[in-house]
Amino acid sequence: MFETATQGIITGILMGAIYALIALGLSIVFGIMNVTNFAHGDFVMLSMYLSFAVGSALAWDAVATPLITAPLMFLFGIITYYLLIDRTLRQMYVVQLAVTVGLQILMRSAALIIWQAQPRALQYSFIQGNIQIGDFQILTSRLFSAVVSLIFIAGMAYFMNKTWAGRAMRAASDDLGAASLMGVNYHKTYALTFAIGSSITALAGGLVMSFQQTDPVGGIRFGLLSWAVLALAGLGSLPGLIVAGIIVGVVESLTVSFFDPRSRLLGVYAIFILVLWLRPRGLFGRR
Amino acid sequence: MDAEPILKVADVTKKFGNLVAVNRASLEVNRGEIVGLIGPNGAGKTTLFNAISGLYRPEEGTVFFKGMNITNWLPHKICKLGMSRTFQVTRAFTHMTVEDTVRVGAYNRFNEKNVQDKVDQVIKVCELVDIRKRVCEDLGLASLRKVELARALATEPEMLLLDEAGAGLNATELATFMDLIKKLNQESQITFCVVEHVMQMVMGLCQRIVVLDSGEIIAAGTPNEISNNARVIEAYLGKRAVHARNQ
Ligand SMILES: Nc1ncnc2c1ncn2[C@@H]1O[C@H](COP(=O)(O)OP(=O)(O)O)[C@@H](O)[C@H]1O
Ligand SMILES: [Mg+2]
Repeated sequence: MFETATQGIITGILMGAIYALIALGLSIVFGIMNVTNFAHGDFVMLSMYLSFAVGSALAWDAVATPLITAPLMFLFGIITYYLLIDRTLRQMYVVQLAVTVGLQILMRSAALIIWQAQPRALQYSFIQGNIQIGDFQILTSRLFSAVVSLIFIAGMAYFMNKTWAGRAMRAASDDLGAASLMGVNYHKTYALTFAIGSSITALAGGLVMSFQQTDPVGGIRFGLLSWAVLALAGLGSLPGLIVAGIIVGVVESLTVSFFDPRSRLLGVYAIFILVLWLRPRGLFGRR
Repeated sequence: MDAEPILKVADVTKKFGNLVAVNRASLEVNRGEIVGLIGPNGAGKTTLFNAISGLYRPEEGTVFFKGMNITNWLPHKICKLGMSRTFQVTRAFTHMTVEDTVRVGAYNRFNEKNVQDKVDQVIKVCELVDIRKRVCEDLGLASLRKVELARALATEPEMLLLDEAGAGLNATELATFMDLIKKLNQESQITFCVVEHVMQMVMGLCQRIVVLDSGEIIAAGTPNEISNNARVIEAYLGKRAVHARNQ
């Protein structure tokens, strides 16, 4: 009992760091552009397929595939921004909702057509095996992915606070009109924001592919996970995002250990609803 | 002085639904001038500023800046061309520090390598040194007005629009503020168009005054001419008379 719980918590913490990374992509798009991308989970799904494609074609390790998939997803983000998102900014909110939900359906159908329904996985190579600590086991690829996620989130904090583009993004988030009048080009800033959000899913997708498989409806899970993390964290705090990711990861992992693996999303959804009831701004949110 | 005015507003109309907030307004500002834009509350001064700076698209009319037709330009392009502004209801970047707020403006002309000198210079000129690390949402009105001026100055504008930048300041703060504007006008050759209710500031600062009432420009001239203009007196006294009756 105690051992199962501890093992579940360890796994949950590692997964949680990756969930924080996935939610980061959703968070910056929502926080800066005020755009709710309902297709975010499907961006992760697409990224995982791209990792699969690159990994099998070049015989690369899953964790190396973001070197190619991140630029691709960056481009995909820019195209999606200019073709779809930019057109919805001055429209009613439902238009935005319809467009991103439509994109979600489109991406699922496309994945189904291109890669068929059966799950795909990569034969990963260089990070293998387990680390044994006492009675507990840590999957090396998960540990590696969690560490990379945390480093990337820290790097993102630096980018947002210390670079020209990051400051422009924060200024646009605070007051788009005032920022434009001070010389910030909002089309470019938004396109960059969306593209960064999109390429983050490429990194996350590559990491997750090192220990999981992908299928065309996998986006549902990552979408729900991201929303739960974001709701729990609130907007504007990157440490908050990490803590929230870990809480969600642990809850998911314990649900799997103590109930039914098929009920994992129920646990996640329960957090989402609880936060909405008890603390709509999230644990760390300032807005 | 250039023959060509730096700013030329020709027959600009801005409507909100049925409300005509600015009605065929025309005005010119010459290079190097400090022009005051006055008028009762709701006259359309802020709306006109928004139409000039690119925040609103006017239904009719044209705005020329430095000889270019900027009427439907995006705000950041107008800023690049050399116009910046402050806001009546302050709009500093609430979650950013004073220094970062100013830096966002400075990026208009500077890059990562040389932005810091500009930021330091503007922060000093606007007397923000003590609060440069503070976050804007924690600041009071007087500081926020200075931050907005600093942010606008950091873009290195040739022309600055100030929307009631003196409102809410006490007498000392106002005097310092007026000195700063005069200094910027004389030493940095910045042209100003200022919306102001504080008459002391308008009369002490402006070489020329334009009067807006119910969206229409009803007079323009030197401070002296304006204070003796019958329509202006009527617009102001009329409002006051109505106001007095309602009390
Ligand atoms: N965004 C807006 N939507 C609708 N009406 C507006 C808006 N902005 C201003 N108005 C109206 O336009 C008129 C002019 O307002 P404004 O330009 O703010 O006047 P001023 O700055 O001279 O006090 C007022 O009647 C005001 O209520
Ligand atoms: Mg006003």
